[in-house]
Amino acid sequence: MASTFRSTTRLLASRPTSAIRLLPHTRVAAFHASQRQQILPPGPQVVQGTVNDPVPIPTPNAAHGSYHWAFERLIALGMVPLCVAPFAAGTANPALDAALGTALVLHSHIGFDACVTDYFPKRQYPKLRSFMVWLLRGATVTVAVGLFSFQTNDVGLTEGVKKMWKA
Amino acid sequence: MASFRQPALRLLASSSFRRASPTVFNTTRSLASIATDAPTPAKKEPLLKKFTIYRWSPDEPTKKPHMQEYTLDLNETGPMVLDALIRIKNELDPTLTFRRSCREGICGSCAMNIEGTNTLACLCRISRDTSQATRIYPLPHMYIVKDLVPDLTNFYKQYKSIKPYLQRKEPTEDGKEIRQSKEERKKLDGLYECILCACCSTSCPSYWWNQEEYLGPAVLMQAYRWLADSRDQMSGQRKDALENSMSLYRCHTIMNCARTCPKGLNPGLAIAKIKKMMVVGA
Repeated sequence: MASTFRSTTRLLASRPTSAIRLLPHTRVAAFHASQRQQILPPGPQVVQGTVNDPVPIPTPNAAHGSYHWAFERLIALGMVPLCVAPFAAGTANPALDAALGTALVLHSHIGFDACVTDYFPKRQYPKLRSFMVWLLRGATVTVAVGLFSFQTNDVGLTEGVKKMWKA
Repeated sequence: MASFRQPALRLLASSSFRRASPTVFNTTRSLASIATDAPTPAKKEPLLKKFTIYRWSPDEPTKKPHMQEYTLDLNETGPMVLDALIRIKNELDPTLTFRRSCREGICGSCAMNIEGTNTLACLCRISRDTSQATRIYPLPHMYIVKDLVPDLTNFYKQYKSIKPYLQRKEPTEDGKEIRQSKEERKKLDGLYECILCACCSTSCPSYWWNQEEYLGPAVLMQAYRWLADSRDQMSGQRKDALENSMSLYRCHTIMNCARTCPKGLNPGLAIAKIKKMMVVGA
């Protein structure tokens, strides 16, 4: 076992095509042993700095950290009574409707934003990432405008759901 | 070893107690030799079990990784998957490469994916069902050094980034050791037992997609272990290090970590507690 390891490490150190590179920001030409059409091809391994350096710590920003998380949870919790209230009260209150519509738009925006952050990493696809971010923003604004006009010119969110439920 | 044992044995053999009692007859025999007078057990039918193991060698980097099949007689193999792997390496194929050290679930070296579950090979029993082969892969979504050996460089670098040691601003008032109440110590139970085998981190989809930036369950549980420690005085800085969208908040409570942990720990709960701490500022 030990001898196998030793020969392996010597090989890794001397060959440029090896999986490990310890130099900072060195990119190694990828060899393709599997199909190219797989999702998220990992690419060659990149080790930032030396193996003994800790990974860099991002600049603290609570707006992207704890505040964001707390806001997300508050909206999600707030939507529970907002969904139940109009049906429990039996009437469609325009103020409640507006609150529900706003919470719904914010909730889905934050949810899809998390999907974009997860699946379109900036470090790998910077252009696709910004395209997806703007696509999501566009979709959110469109939905918000649509809900607003539905609220002002039509029966409103709760009434609309009620009618759909019957049909 | 044997030379150490002999004087004691000779002493024991020459004692008058031994001559008086026929029951300690066998003490003159070396511990390593086989008892010849023991009745030979009936030969069991061989129980042949197949193992399919992931193989990839850096010697041939362009060769696609493949599964190699080995067959062992379970009656002559130990009960755990690690026993089978060691036997394959010793008797069938010396090129098979894997990490192992303690063979009792305390070092975390032999973490691998067995039958679709990340676990320690030394704690995983071989299924006696011979109709199906046992599939063994390295930890998923990691760079592979060879065969079942994943590259844990990034994992250790992430562990280093959370400063896994006690940090204090001032010494204690009386200059003695830092004391803890029983309740304070109890908060560390279920956290300090982690052996950093990386089973949980590599079972986490969030870690699969974003392991360059997301710290992963194992490292975050250790981050919480130092946040929860009553003796540590740097929790402000520790929390600041997690105040961004990637390091901590890529956890979506999928809970694969708690399900796969070979030590029965719950990293998902620890991460939830960090999130709570970050909000209430405790």
